[in-house]
Amino acid sequence: MDYAIETVALTKVFSDWWGRAKVYAVDDLNLQIRPNEVFGLLGPNGSGKTTTIKMLLGLLHPTRGHALILGGDGTHPKISARVGFLPEESYLYRFLNARETLDFYGRLFGLDSRTREMRTEALLEMVGLKAVASRPVGTYSKGMARRIGLAQALINDPDLLILDEPTTGLDPIGTRQIKDLIMKLAERGKTVLLCSHLLADVEDVCDRIAILYGGKVQAHGRVKDLLQKTNKRQILTSAISDGTADRIRRILQEEHADCEISSPMERLETFFINTVVEAQQQATPTSGAVSTTQIGEFLTAGARQGDILDKLVAAPVVERAEAGPVRTERPQPHEAVVPEPNKDLLAKLTRSASSSKVEPVGPGRTQPAVPTPETTVHQEQVRKNILDELTGKKHPDGSTVKPSEGPGEDGGHA
Amino acid sequence: MRRVWAVATNTIRQALRMKVAAIFIVLLLVLLPVMGYTASGDGTLKGRLQTFISYGLSLTGLLLSLLTIIASIYSVTSDIEHRQIYTVVTKPIRRYQLILGKLLGVIVLNVALLTLFSGIIYGVVVLLPRFAGASAEERVQIDNEFFTARASLVPPQIDVSKEVRELYAKLEANDQLEAAYPRSSREEILKYLTQRLRLERRAATIGQVLIWEFKNVRPSDPNNQSLFIRFKYDVSVTPPDEQVYGSWRIGDLRGWQTGTSVDTPVWPVLRKDPVRKFREIEVPATAVAKDGYLAVGFMNPTLNNTVVLFPVDDGLEVLYKADSFLANYVRAVLLILFRLVFLACLGVMAASFLSFPVAILFCLAVFVTGAASGGIIESFGYMSRNVGLVYQYTIQAVIQLLPQFDKMNPAQFLVPARLISWGLLGRVALGLLCLRAALVLVLGLIIFSFRELAKVVI
Repeated sequence: MDYAIETVALTKVFSDWWGRAKVYAVDDLNLQIRPNEVFGLLGPNGSGKTTTIKMLLGLLHPTRGHALILGGDGTHPKISARVGFLPEESYLYRFLNARETLDFYGRLFGLDSRTREMRTEALLEMVGLKAVASRPVGTYSKGMARRIGLAQALINDPDLLILDEPTTGLDPIGTRQIKDLIMKLAERGKTVLLCSHLLADVEDVCDRIAILYGGKVQAHGRVKDLLQKTNKRQILTSAISDGTADRIRRILQEEHADCEISSPMERLETFFINTVVEAQQQATPTSGAVSTTQIGEFLTAGARQGDILDKLVAAPVVERAEAGPVRTERPQPHEAVVPEPNKDLLAKLTRSASSSKVEPVGPGRTQPAVPTPETTVHQEQVRKNILDELTGKKHPDGSTVKPSEGPGEDGGHA
Repeated sequence: MRRVWAVATNTIRQALRMKVAAIFIVLLLVLLPVMGYTASGDGTLKGRLQTFISYGLSLTGLLLSLLTIIASIYSVTSDIEHRQIYTVVTKPIRRYQLILGKLLGVIVLNVALLTLFSGIIYGVVVLLPRFAGASAEERVQIDNEFFTARASLVPPQIDVSKEVRELYAKLEANDQLEAAYPRSSREEILKYLTQRLRLERRAATIGQVLIWEFKNVRPSDPNNQSLFIRFKYDVSVTPPDEQVYGSWRIGDLRGWQTGTSVDTPVWPVLRKDPVRKFREIEVPATAVAKDGYLAVGFMNPTLNNTVVLFPVDDGLEVLYKADSFLANYVRAVLLILFRLVFLACLGVMAASFLSFPVAILFCLAVFVTGAASGGIIESFGYMSRNVGLVYQYTIQAVIQLLPQFDKMNPAQFLVPARLISWGLLGRVALGLLCLRAALVLVLGLIIFSFRELAKVVI
């Protein structure tokens, strides 16, 4: 079988000045990551995750063993053209602005100027930095730098995405968006190597994981298999009366099974996001609640990534009448940078600049577009088809379509 | 190539936006016009022009050299230091392409800045006579002695090896060597004797005549051109006013020797000049015989009370117009550019394995050594004879590889309006670019291609 990533007895020894082996950063590591898999590499700090990635990409030379990416040497241009890499921190040129940054990386991939321009604009919109795209990256907050870092990793539409701690510096909403994005990319047939010590990130998105400690794999396998307790059962019900609960307990005691009845806790992440979303719904649109990010749309709509590709083939697609789940689409107050009027102006500018884009701009969030689910599904399919043609993958139609859960903010994006 | 260019433009952006270049640019933009205004030289218009072009070009060359060293090193080390290199080399670009891109960016930046500043200097130089209100006489002088490019004829080295050997043998036979030259090796004594005998041939006691002969003198337009005899006196006893007389005869002196008359006129000149300073005598180019023969005769007149000597290396030469000032100026600027290209190659090489401060130190050391290469090579020359052959074949080889910037300083050509021939330019390009810069660059590319770019982090 051809693995997307394969390491054979990969070892990295860091020596001291005299050449004596001091630390085994990675010790006889054998990883096999299949194509179209989201693989999580976990481990505490200093367990060899980043060292492994650096060896995969040729930034460090293995002491022993070897690493294969997409069946070849990671430093070969033919291979690296198909890889997207987000390092542990977004190491960016501080003197470039976001647009120039993406353009520069696009040029490193040898993309022509038209493609670069389209992908740059689409990615900027996707990571929600369009309004601040002409500001030097050096002035960005950590979360914004992380977003532009992610955008540069996607500029070549990679087959394999290597993400080292992608969610550091991002707030819970940003984290959620990244996680959704990873899942969307996986649905498109991309392989993702996710490297993190934030267990919640990994648990939500990864198909398989490996836990590293001391440079060795301590455990690996499917997340479900590893976490499922086969000798336990869980029954989840609606709120029931105490009497019913007692009856259930009695039945279970007949089987001599231990039983614990309580109200389940909501996950803090979900609670946080819901709280923020509610707060935003209550706020009047002109009260200063502004957005720089449109990640949600692109993530949840499932065709947002396709949107980039749509533009590549210049297919005349009417854009973004769909709405996604509310929870991930809300603007983030702490990321808010640009006041609403600027956003409108920018929208007008970009609209006039590229005539191929037909976008509902204008009142923005004051009049959210609420499309019917029917049209959403239809457009989803249109875009998905184009995407499938490009990526050469077939997915069940509409598999990524999510019903509209509420009024989206889609009308307001630029 | 597209990727190399992408890196190059990014490097230029970096140099401009990180204000590395800005400081140098502002400094030059302010200094050059100010210098044009304040340069005075020896008070004459020619002196002003010479001072300005000398300091202007030297300053431009120096500041751009520093900028080149800093920009080329910074563009590589900052990428490694701030780890942008992680996101760059993991893209489909070879590491050598990355380095070539950085190098190209620095070179393009240099070409642009050098064009700008040399243009400013040229403009000031051309406009200066107009604003200075030069007299017609001064204009003729600067046209002849500054706004021109003159080929130089240097008298051939006098062969005194036979006399030196004879003298040495005589001293050895009389056992006088140790007394005359205590604790000296044979080579040192021979070298000393050679210098002494050569200087004796260029010394005129009172009433004595010295003759220099030149062949193949071919001025392009003899009827409208001038020859310039450029000379420097030295004396055994310095006169109170530090000036000596000289009685010169310039032309085809063969006629005098044989007593037959020749068509070529002989120009007699009697003048008084300061000692140990370069002076020029202008005579019409018709003094050159049809077969390209020219002789310069000097008699130490009885007006003097001293022996007059002409230093062996730069005592006398004949100059004549061979090209335009502009063409010569362009070649002078190219000499600077070659130096900058070499420094850029050196910078990326140093940055390929050294950190920023260490690389800067290394390049500055090479730059300063190169700028003073004459003295350094000479000092090693003395040392190697003492220490022996091993030294000669190790250190000396390395020393010879150092570029010799002082030998290609454009000011030393433009100030005396001396021709920088294409041949000279070609030799510099060959030695500095094709050999040294290429060697340094290949070394840098190899090191960078195989090194680990990531830091050890556990």
